[in-house]
Amino acid sequence: MMEVINPDQFDLDHLAEELGKLPEAPLAMPVQDLEHNAPLGGMLAALRPRLFRLRKAGH
Amino acid sequence: MHLTRTITLTASILAAGLGFFVFLQFGASDGFDSLDLIRALLIFASTFWLAWGAFTALLGLTSRPPVRERSTGLLRAMTAILVPVYNEDPVATFARIAAMDASLRATGAGDRFHFAILSDTRNDEVAARERIWFLRLLADTHGEGRIFYRRRTQNKGRKAGNIEDFIKRAGAAYEFAIILDADSLMEGATMVEMVRRMEADPELGLLQTLPNIIRAKSRFGRTMQFAGAFYSPVFARGLAMMQGRTGPFWGHNAIVRVKAFAQSCGLPELSGRPPFGGHILSHDYVEAALLARAGWTVRVDDDLAGSYEEAPENIIDHAKRDRRWCQGNLQHARLIFAPGLKGWSRFVFVQGILAYIAPVFWLAFLAASIAAPLFAPPIDYFPIDYWPFPVLPVSQVSKALLLALGVGGLLFLPKLLILLDAVLRRRTRGFGGSIRALQSTLTELLFSSITAPIFLMFQTRSVLQVLRGADGGWPAQTRGDGTLSFRDSWAASHWIVTTGAVVLAFAQWLSPQLVPWLLPVALPMVLAPALISWSSRPSRTMLFTTPTEQQLPAIMSLNDRILSRWSADLPDQTAAA
Repeated sequence: MMEVINPDQFDLDHLAEELGKLPEAPLAMPVQDLEHNAPLGGMLAALRPRLFRLRKAGH
Repeated sequence: MHLTRTITLTASILAAGLGFFVFLQFGASDGFDSLDLIRALLIFASTFWLAWGAFTALLGLTSRPPVRERSTGLLRAMTAILVPVYNEDPVATFARIAAMDASLRATGAGDRFHFAILSDTRNDEVAARERIWFLRLLADTHGEGRIFYRRRTQNKGRKAGNIEDFIKRAGAAYEFAIILDADSLMEGATMVEMVRRMEADPELGLLQTLPNIIRAKSRFGRTMQFAGAFYSPVFARGLAMMQGRTGPFWGHNAIVRVKAFAQSCGLPELSGRPPFGGHILSHDYVEAALLARAGWTVRVDDDLAGSYEEAPENIIDHAKRDRRWCQGNLQHARLIFAPGLKGWSRFVFVQGILAYIAPVFWLAFLAASIAAPLFAPPIDYFPIDYWPFPVLPVSQVSKALLLALGVGGLLFLPKLLILLDAVLRRRTRGFGGSIRALQSTLTELLFSSITAPIFLMFQTRSVLQVLRGADGGWPAQTRGDGTLSFRDSWAASHWIVTTGAVVLAFAQWLSPQLVPWLLPVALPMVLAPALISWSSRPSRTMLFTTPTEQQLPAIMSLNDRILSRWSADLPDQTAAA
């Protein structure tokens, strides 16, 4: 197959990029909340052992 | 639907409870100890999982898909067909696209569909070939303005991120998107029907088809292909009965309403490090749960034919894929209590986790059974004071047999009932007739029983790897057709052989009476490399005939013709390069 060093490669890449361009029609896709406000999840978090969690000195 | 779920759940719990009590009686016959309780609990969990599968099949056998009115009017909506690729062979992938394009145009609705090849390919050489073959695809299909190609510079979020990137850039141009895998193939008429069903139900957010496995060549591959074609429709029907509006998404061969998907399926990166944090690996289950959370219907329509995919040709490739799925499913443990999810979605996450944990339970049960004599109290032949005659222990073999029969029944009975149903409804015609379907089913039962311990070991290793955050290493090299040499098979499975031998040795030492019971599990483990290598070789038997082998679907013929034409041109292209 085509080698990357082929001189025609750039033209082909450019052509593929031009012809393959997706329609410009942006649509928002907001990130969903999956980790917060779950009552049981919160309860489990409360039960998580924190014996060795120490504050950093100076903060 | 709620009643169906309740009955299935109750029946599964009852079956598991029965297994629990029978085992407890059996285990406690020589005196009750804590290991007996642990083993009985392991039996409960494992039996529940088996019973759940069996009752799903029974539901599938006793119900029929609803009759849907077929419309023939013109399509209003524009649909994008998304083909995410990742280092795949572009000739094979793009030939499938050319075939689907031709099939769609033959329906007369081709102008309502665009294709978008979404490349996440990391290998520059493969990417260069993708560009060349994209130009060839455009030239062959006159697809300029209908078929698009873009490559991401960074594959953030993997496949889910790839789809998300498309939606953010071009999603507003389409009402629907059919999501495929690189090896997916769908009849044009099927895709048109999917769009019609979406148009007919404005609350439908996602419609999943049941893809049929095609083009299997090896012994293992054809067995899986037969099982997929013969059993899966019944299991899918049972699932469809239980899911209601909270159906599954299997990641491909499905259609989504783009607006609904965009509004509700933007996936966050989970806090913490992989395997439980980071990108959501098995994104499809989560997207189905999020669509349902937002009030959209998610449905699997098992009556939709003409949806195909390819599958691994050998046990090692299957196990590799399963390793990814295992990590993805266990990661869902983080999401069981996610806010606002429907109860069924949470249960689906639990089911997915159980599917991978259940084999670990079985293995733990075996280990506990071998070790049990170490913890059992010595037999007291004179338990009654001043009674001169010994009291001999009552044989518990009948209870052990009852348990084995129960577990065997849950494993085999659904498949045998599916066979009976297929014979009665003449569905066996597509499988070479009733006699051949019977032979294929019995051989499949034998093959799946022999290979089950090997899968049990791979799954157990996957679970343990995920739990300690390790990545799987895979020494085996597969060739183009998936054939594995004995050496490759040995490299990938020698640890299973060792485990099998150790299990037998310990059983012989600690509980010799257990050895005959353990042989069906330990022997396939010892023979794992031979079984893996043998099953990866080409299958030449008339067994495991499927409808798609008997009569090649139109889309497959079209795909074959295009692929052979393109393959014939390959040397020229190479020379030109």
